Amino acid sequence: MVYVFRKVFSNVQYVILTAIVTGLVFAFAVWLPNLKLIGEVTFNSNASAIEKISFLYSLLGSIQTNFSAISAGYTIAIAVLFGINIALLAYYIRARRAALQGSGAALSIGGSVGGLVSGVFGIGCAACGTFLFTSTLALFGAGGLLAILPLGGEEFGFLGVGLLAYSIYLTSNKIMEPMVCKQ
Amino acid sequence: MNETTPNAASLTAPVAIVIAGILIAGAVLYSNKGQSAGAVEDGQGIAQAAGSTNSVRPVNDSDHIQGNPDALVKIVEYSDFECPFCKRFHETMNQIMDEYGNSGQVAWVYRHFPLDQLHPKNARIEAVASECVNELGGNDAFWRFANRLFELTPSNDQTDAKTVIPQIVRELGINEQDFNTCMDSGKYDKHIESDIANAVETGGQGTPWSIVIAENGKTFSLSGAQPYASVKQLIEIALQDK
Repeated sequence: MVYVFRKVFSNVQYVILTAIVTGLVFAFAVWLPNLKLIGEVTFNSNASAIEKISFLYSLLGSIQTNFSAISAGYTIAIAVLFGINIALLAYYIRARRAALQGSGAALSIGGSVGGLVSGVFGIGCAACGTFLFTSTLALFGAGGLLAILPLGGEEFGFLGVGLLAYSIYLTSNKIMEPMVCKQ
Repeated sequence: MNETTPNAASLTAPVAIVIAGILIAGAVLYSNKGQSAGAVEDGQGIAQAAGSTNSVRPVNDSDHIQGNPDALVKIVEYSDFECPFCKRFHETMNQIMDEYGNSGQVAWVYRHFPLDQLHPKNARIEAVASECVNELGGNDAFWRFANRLFELTPSNDQTDAKTVIPQIVRELGINEQDFNTCMDSGKYDKHIESDIANAVETGGQGTPWSIVIAENGKTFSLSGAQPYASVKQLIEIALQDK
C-alpha cells in the first residue's frame, strides 16, 4: 500500500485532487447543520460578496465549537480518507483506461460512497441530537434508538472511517494487480 | 488476447453512487427542509421535524431578555442547560452582548429546549429552577443563574443538581423555602412546554438553536454552537436588513 501511495501521490495532480475533494467534503460536513442559513445569506441578503465569503469561511470554525473532539476527529478523517479514495480511484481508472471491471473496483467505490454516507449520518451535534441521524430515525419512527446507542449516533462516524479505510485498501490492491485481460 | 467488455459487475459502481447520492440528498433535504408540523417525541426530547423560522413566537414580557428589548437585532436562543454545546454557545453569546448589548443593537432572548431524551435527569429540572429563580429574583437573577449554572455544570447529565442548584440559589440570595415551593408547584411546566413547541415549530432539531431576527422582521436560523466570528458576521448582516 505504501508503494501505491508513493506511486500515486508523486504526481502533484493527485495531491491537488485529494486536497480539493477533502476540502469539499469537510466544508459540506461543517456547513451541513446550517445549509438553510447559508442559502439565505448567500442568495437572499443585503450582504456584500466579501461579507458572504467571510461568513462562509467563519462557519468552518465550527469544527472547534460545534463538534466534540471525537466527532471533529472522525469528520476530518472522513474528509481526508474520502479525498485519498477519490484520488486512488482516479489513478486506477486513468491507468487502466478501460471500463471498470470486476467486483474489486465496484466494491472500493461502493465502500467510499458507503463510508461517506455513513459518516454523514454521524455528523452533527452528537450530544444534543445528531441532525441527520435524528431526522432519519424519526422518519422511521425510531427516534428512541438514539438513546440506546452508547455514543448517541457517533457510531456512524466510526463506521464511515472504517468503510473508507477498507475502500482505500481495496483500491490499492486493485492498483497493484498486474494488468491482464479477462474473458 | 481478449478484449475487455463491461459486464454486469461494472454497473455496481455507478448504481452504488446513484443510490448513495439519492440517500445523501434525501437525508439533507429531510433535515433542512422539514416536514409537516413539528412535534417533540412523546411530548419531550428530541425534535423530529423542521418548520419555519417565521413561526418564532414574538418576543414579549414573559421572555428572558438581556439587553434592549427594542434592539435592532434580536437573537432568540432555544437552549438546554445540560447540553455542552449550549454551554459553549452561552459563552459566545456573553461575548456578543459585551460588544453589541451596551449599544442597544442586540437583545438576547433565552428560551427553554430541554432534551429530555438525552438529558433525562437534569435538563427539565434546571429549566424549571431557572423559571423559579426568575419569579423570585427577577430577570437579572435569571441571567446570573444561567451564567453560574453553565459555569458549574459538566454537562450531559453529569451535574449534581441537588447540590449545585441550591448552591446557586443561596448565592443569589433567594429564599430557599420559597424556591422549593415553586419547584414543587409545577406552575412552569406549561411555559417550558410552550418554549419547546416553539423551538420545534421554528425548525429546531437540537440545541443550541437560535433565530436571529432583523429589524424588518427577517429571520435567520442558526443551528449549533457556531463560533463568535460567525455570530458576529450574521449580526452585521442582519443589521443591514432594516
